[in-house]
Amino acid sequence: MSGDQRGLEVVDIHKSLPDGRAVLRGINFNLGAGEFLGILGPSGAGKSLTIRCILGLTRPDSGCVHLRESDGNTSEISTSSGRQLRQIRRKIGVVFQGFNLVKRLSVLENVMIGRLGAIHPLRSWLYGFTDDEADGAMAALERIGMGHFAPRVTATLSGGEMQRVAVARALYQEPLLLLADEPIASLDPKNANEIMQLLRPIAEEIPICGVFHQPEMTAKYCTRVIGIRDGQIVYDGDPALSAQQLRELYGQELKELQRDTSAAELSQPTWAAISSLGKG
Amino acid sequence: MRYHPRKYRPLLAPGLVLGALIYAAALGCEVSFDRFWKGIEVGGDLLASFFPPAWGDLDDMLLPALETLLLAVIATPLAVVVSFFVALLAADNVRRGWVRNLARGLMSAERATPDIVVAFFFIAAFGIGPMAGIIALALGSIGMLGKLFADAMEEVDPRLLEAIECTGATRSQVLRYAILPVVLPSMIANSLFRFEINIRSAALLGMVGAGGIGYELSQAMALLEYPRGTVAIAVTLALVFLTERLAGQLRQRLIAREHLA
Repeated sequence: MSGDQRGLEVVDIHKSLPDGRAVLRGINFNLGAGEFLGILGPSGAGKSLTIRCILGLTRPDSGCVHLRESDGNTSEISTSSGRQLRQIRRKIGVVFQGFNLVKRLSVLENVMIGRLGAIHPLRSWLYGFTDDEADGAMAALERIGMGHFAPRVTATLSGGEMQRVAVARALYQEPLLLLADEPIASLDPKNANEIMQLLRPIAEEIPICGVFHQPEMTAKYCTRVIGIRDGQIVYDGDPALSAQQLRELYGQELKELQRDTSAAELSQPTWAAISSLGKG
Repeated sequence: MRYHPRKYRPLLAPGLVLGALIYAAALGCEVSFDRFWKGIEVGGDLLASFFPPAWGDLDDMLLPALETLLLAVIATPLAVVVSFFVALLAADNVRRGWVRNLARGLMSAERATPDIVVAFFFIAAFGIGPMAGIIALALGSIGMLGKLFADAMEEVDPRLLEAIECTGATRSQVLRYAILPVVLPSMIANSLFRFEINIRSAALLGMVGAGGIGYELSQAMALLEYPRGTVAIAVTLALVFLTERLAGQLRQRLIAREHLA
């Protein structure tokens, strides 16, 4: 795989809230082939905001994000907009905490939505998806063992099943890399493990960068962990952090984490705060 | 322990003032019980002159009734289509800033204007007949439907919209696959409801010259042909009742399918 140069470079990203509080204070990391990178850190540390900057949903105050294709071609995300940004987004698959599926549509349709970036808007309005696209989406569903769910209305699925469909949607996008913003935070331990087991082999083909709240999960499944605290990377290395390292990363919040507080509760205000930043 | 408050005295002065105001207003408007009873008497005699209904005139009413129905049948879908596009301008997850405010402002101005005023304007412009009625009904519907559609669009989870955008989809594709499927059921339900309102409105607008059954009724009343008027009223009631049943049934089917989803 030496010729494979696919990857992501995040270079010195800074971002402040409108009130002047610095949330990201120089985030630097690379993501390369075969990696399953887990981002850990206390709530409000800037993990999700980092993901948003990579996706071009939030524009960093300074610094840049490069997406590198297998031929070494790079495109800069942080300064792109419009058509250029859409072209880049096509190459990044994303899985969210809230699944973010269109519940009224069928499972198959939700997977096909992953390919919208490659479809002309006029066709979307006048004709819709093609048989080939249905076949491709079906293959993506079968790959994760969800083939028989294809005709179901998405609203009837359980949380774990919806997240699998979201993974299939991201896979069908045929992305260069996969981002996951707290993908298992709303799931019970059994489903959380299943999603991680699903992602692990995918990471060998498509590098994954995910935000997580459970250090035991990242230790078990990730190939590398980054720890973010107060908008800076304070740890970068082996996925198995020592108790001392976890204490330094989480501080006061470690106790809550050990009590296994629902991570979903921790992350809700984070989203609200981050989304209030707008697309600035 | 004293629990129940016996504090009626503070109510005495405001009560007296209010009573005096009502009495003064009644005097000023020449409203009195005397006139009320007299009115009931006259009204009773008048009511009697409506019966028996001239059922022989029923044939004359069927075509105008159809015209009233068609008024709503043409105006409602027209309004639904226009409202959809106006809603796109007025939903803040689709459009922002002054465009949204302008669209919202125009729609509330329209809602504040009674349909009948709109109808008078278009009757002056297009002359007496169904054309003015259709335009008035359609315009009257846009203020309500446009707002309801836009509100439904704004309620779509912004995280879902972002997620679809992250696939590289354009705004119009997000609209097609994330907003439209979510708002469609409420759009259909609201459109059916507006159709019911438009049937009633169409009958009313007919009285001011927009044609249809309302026009027949106003003519019969003007010519003092009360038994004929009774038939017109009966036909109007039947029309309203039937369309409401029909719309209700359609809506129920829609909701039933909703529960399956």
